[in-house]
Amino acid sequence: MEVRPHQTVDNSAATPQRRAATAASKQPVPASNAVDTTSVTQRLQKELMALMMSGGDLGVSAFPEGESIFTWIGTIEGGKGTMYEDLSYKLSLRFPLDYPFKPPQVKFETTCFHPNVDQFGNICLDILQDKWSSAYDCRSILLSIQSLLGEPNPESPLNTYAAALWTNKKEDYRKMVREQYFGGKAFES
Amino acid sequence: MESSTSSPVCNLGILMNFNDDTLQEICQSFSGFCAAVKSLLSDSGDFSVRQDFVTHVQTLCKHGDRLRSLARDYFLRSLEEAFEKNGASRFWRHFEDCSKIEEDLEKIDEDEIQRVLCKALEEICLVKEDQEKWLLIFVHALQSYMENVPDGKYNFEAEKDYLLSKYQLIVSSILMASLPRHFPEILRWYFKGRLEELSTIMGGELNEENECQDRDEMDLDEKSKCRIGEIDIDECYRQDKFSENNKLVKNIGKVVRDLRNLGFTSMTEDAYASAIFLLLKDKVHNLAGDDYRSSVLDSIKGWIQAVPLQFLNALLAYLGDSTSFDQHSSALKSPLASQPSSCYPGTSTPSQGLVKWKLRLEYFAYETLQDLRIAKLFEIIVDYPESSPAIEDLKQCLEYTGQHSKLVESFISALKYRLLTAGASTNDILHQYVSTIKALRTIDPAGIFLEAVGEPIRDYLRGRKDTTKCIVTMLTDGTSGNPNGSGNNGDSLLEELNRDEENQENVGLDDAFNTDDKQAWIDAQRWEPDPVEADPTKGSQNRRKVDILGMIVSIIGSKDQFVNEYRVVLAEKLLDKSDYDIDSEIRTLELLKIRFGESSMQKCEIMLNDLIDSKRTNANIKATINKASQIDAESVETGISLDNLNATIISSNFWPPIQDEALILPEPVDHLLSDYARRFHEVKTPRKLLWKKNLGTVKLELQFEDKAMQFTVGPVHAAIIMQFQEQTSWTSKNLAAATGIPVDVLNRRISFWISKGVLTESLGTDPSDHVFTLVEGMVDASKNSGNSGNSEELLAGDEEAERSVASVEDQLRKEMMVYEKFIMGMLTNFGSMALDRIHNTLKMFCIADPPYDKSLQQLQSFLSGLVSEEKLELRDGMYFLKK
Repeated sequence: MEVRPHQTVDNSAATPQRRAATAASKQPVPASNAVDTTSVTQRLQKELMALMMSGGDLGVSAFPEGESIFTWIGTIEGGKGTMYEDLSYKLSLRFPLDYPFKPPQVKFETTCFHPNVDQFGNICLDILQDKWSSAYDCRSILLSIQSLLGEPNPESPLNTYAAALWTNKKEDYRKMVREQYFGGKAFES
Repeated sequence: MESSTSSPVCNLGILMNFNDDTLQEICQSFSGFCAAVKSLLSDSGDFSVRQDFVTHVQTLCKHGDRLRSLARDYFLRSLEEAFEKNGASRFWRHFEDCSKIEEDLEKIDEDEIQRVLCKALEEICLVKEDQEKWLLIFVHALQSYMENVPDGKYNFEAEKDYLLSKYQLIVSSILMASLPRHFPEILRWYFKGRLEELSTIMGGELNEENECQDRDEMDLDEKSKCRIGEIDIDECYRQDKFSENNKLVKNIGKVVRDLRNLGFTSMTEDAYASAIFLLLKDKVHNLAGDDYRSSVLDSIKGWIQAVPLQFLNALLAYLGDSTSFDQHSSALKSPLASQPSSCYPGTSTPSQGLVKWKLRLEYFAYETLQDLRIAKLFEIIVDYPESSPAIEDLKQCLEYTGQHSKLVESFISALKYRLLTAGASTNDILHQYVSTIKALRTIDPAGIFLEAVGEPIRDYLRGRKDTTKCIVTMLTDGTSGNPNGSGNNGDSLLEELNRDEENQENVGLDDAFNTDDKQAWIDAQRWEPDPVEADPTKGSQNRRKVDILGMIVSIIGSKDQFVNEYRVVLAEKLLDKSDYDIDSEIRTLELLKIRFGESSMQKCEIMLNDLIDSKRTNANIKATINKASQIDAESVETGISLDNLNATIISSNFWPPIQDEALILPEPVDHLLSDYARRFHEVKTPRKLLWKKNLGTVKLELQFEDKAMQFTVGPVHAAIIMQFQEQTSWTSKNLAAATGIPVDVLNRRISFWISKGVLTESLGTDPSDHVFTLVEGMVDASKNSGNSGNSEELLAGDEEAERSVASVEDQLRKEMMVYEKFIMGMLTNFGSMALDRIHNTLKMFCIADPPYDKSLQQLQSFLSGLVSEEKLELRDGMYFLKK
């Protein structure tokens, strides 16, 4: 999904009514936050700035991939003391045009062996679905995913094998994580 | 008498016309003639031979012109052979010994050369004279025959001239043909030696002359009697000198004449010209030397006048060419009339040759001096303005020679080699630049060459970080900073600022009053074309006046940058003040306003106004206490009252960002400050006062059992020492907690008190924790020993230049921090990136407060900085994060 800002400006100008209506129905938003791509762009830029200024130390980072600010590449380092320590995972983040009223689509690009991540990298995380709020930002998403790595939720698994290993055989789980990680790396290269 | 003179027939043909008797006679007399010639030339020819010779010639002449010319040709031929044998070969043999001259310049004995040359010349001239004598006899024989012939309209003089010149030609061609290669060198050495001798005599005389003049001036008031005697002596002395010189010149003249006689005219001239030039060059080098504090041009000119021109004058006069007879006779009368002040000694009108020589010599002197000065221009400018005489000399030389481009080239390379190196401090470079501008302004008021010379300096300075700061300091420090201080007030640009102001005023006047035609006419007359070197693409208007300030400020690039830097400097200065005296700053600001315009200096003006307001507000707030005349119980207790507090209240929006440093003030002081703030709020509602607790100065007195010490220190130092009031010993951790200063900063700051002998430092139980103890008894072995009581110490600035205001560099560094974070972020996500991509990405996404506006080169140098800090790696043109 490649969206160029000047095209979308036209779009939003053509359909301001509908957008304003959807926004209003979803949640009470101040008028200044009305959705058009310039404000989305601004918001993303601000998030980027904040992430850049604070990100590095936390082990999470992300940056717009190409010329568009709507597609980012993210990097998450496994938290210390977790099964994922010393591993760094790449993610892709796609922000919708009505961000932040809709969550971005976040996927693992690096193969990730985890109960809540399927083989295509889709993530099962509540704040990326029904629990999304416009108060979240890129940084909080990345931090949530980082903590999800350390604390999986085996109750609602996308990867049942991983969930089973997680609950019963921690050592095998650790082995699988590494195996998949380095296997994926080898496959990538 | 046959009249076949006009028909060009061969000699034998003529003989055909004669009868046998005549033929017989001819043959006889011809062989007789030949024999006579032979004997004439072989030895010293006695009179009888001469008689014979004359008779034979006459006989031959009788038989017609053809035979006469035959005889003549034969005679010349014989002369040639004889000269070759007797003259030339012998002549050259004299110089065989000197043939080593080229190989071995060291062992040249000038006296030997002189002797050999003179002797050889004498000999060969003798030979030549003899032969010329025979030639004349021959001519006379012809003449006497012709006079006997009644219808002889024979042009005797012409024949004589013809023969002599023919002979001359023969002589010189023989000599030239057999010329050994080292002969010119010998001549050169000869003249060099002679000229040096002459120069010593003349030089001595010149000094004598000057001394004498000096003495005359000194004695002006004294009795004339004495002076008369002295002058008599001088005259007498001069007479001696004169004859000595005259003899020398005559000797040289004789040699020159002999050489000319032999046909070495041009070679001789070359030789003495090159000797003169060599001597002149030496003289210029001697005089000019490495002293730039006096003008040497006049003395060089004086020397030219006194030595080489005198010599040439005498020589030319002696040789008697190119001067009319009376001129050279008058020159002979007093060729050395020892009056160096008058242009041409002894003669009213100089000969043309002499004028030419003078011009040649002066041009050469100018060029030599110019080359010398240009080569040393860098040093000269370092010494400016002491070296201004040298600059003045150079200016005159350049006016004469017009080789300005030489100056530009050599100076630029000197600059690049000596000034624009990493070792030179920015201040030095700037001072040199200012001196360069000032010095070159003298040489070239239109500033054409300055433009060329200044370019590399400006380019270089732009690459330095502290340039702006140095310029601002130079521009504004002058009167206020150090009237008796570091001494280089001459370099201050403040005076330029003043001058600028005056100029501006003048311009104003011009506009107002001088619009009339007369002024326009004067202006038009003053117009001068640009020098040829001027760049035609740049308008000539804007370079009419060399504007030092403009050139300096143009280094910075933009006015805004300058103003910004000035604001930082000013802020620091203002914050350091404990009184509210800002007169000099106001003056500087006014001057700057003239230059840069009101609007750009607005913020600075507000800063100054803040100070003025602070003074008033301060007084007002104190008045509120006095009115109430209530004495705070607490302030009595602590001994501090608001009277002791002076606040500088700033409008932070207009000030540069101010460094914030954590600091917990001791309770009583803190209380005082908040009290002050409360009162301020009352006086100035709705405004509130926010204290910058780490800024300012504290005057405090430390009382010990036996004595008291006074200090003026920063608040941090004061806060530290106040903690020791209650508790005489602190560990660094506890002290840091009490004062709110980070431990490392604390350790740095507390060293001030340790150095003053107030505290001592010892290691505590925990090795990382130091213990500081108050020195109660103040045994004070340190520098304050001997001080009876009060010792006022001014804190001149901490070890690592504490600054109250964030400098422009700091601001820049902050900007770069943002970029660094962005770059790190990018590389975290992309792994590796090329320079271009980083640049473009920054341009696209780094929309920070100052948007990314750096050039690719700047980014590259920034990145290589990060690489050297080992944050990044560069491989194959790609940047990586260093793991």
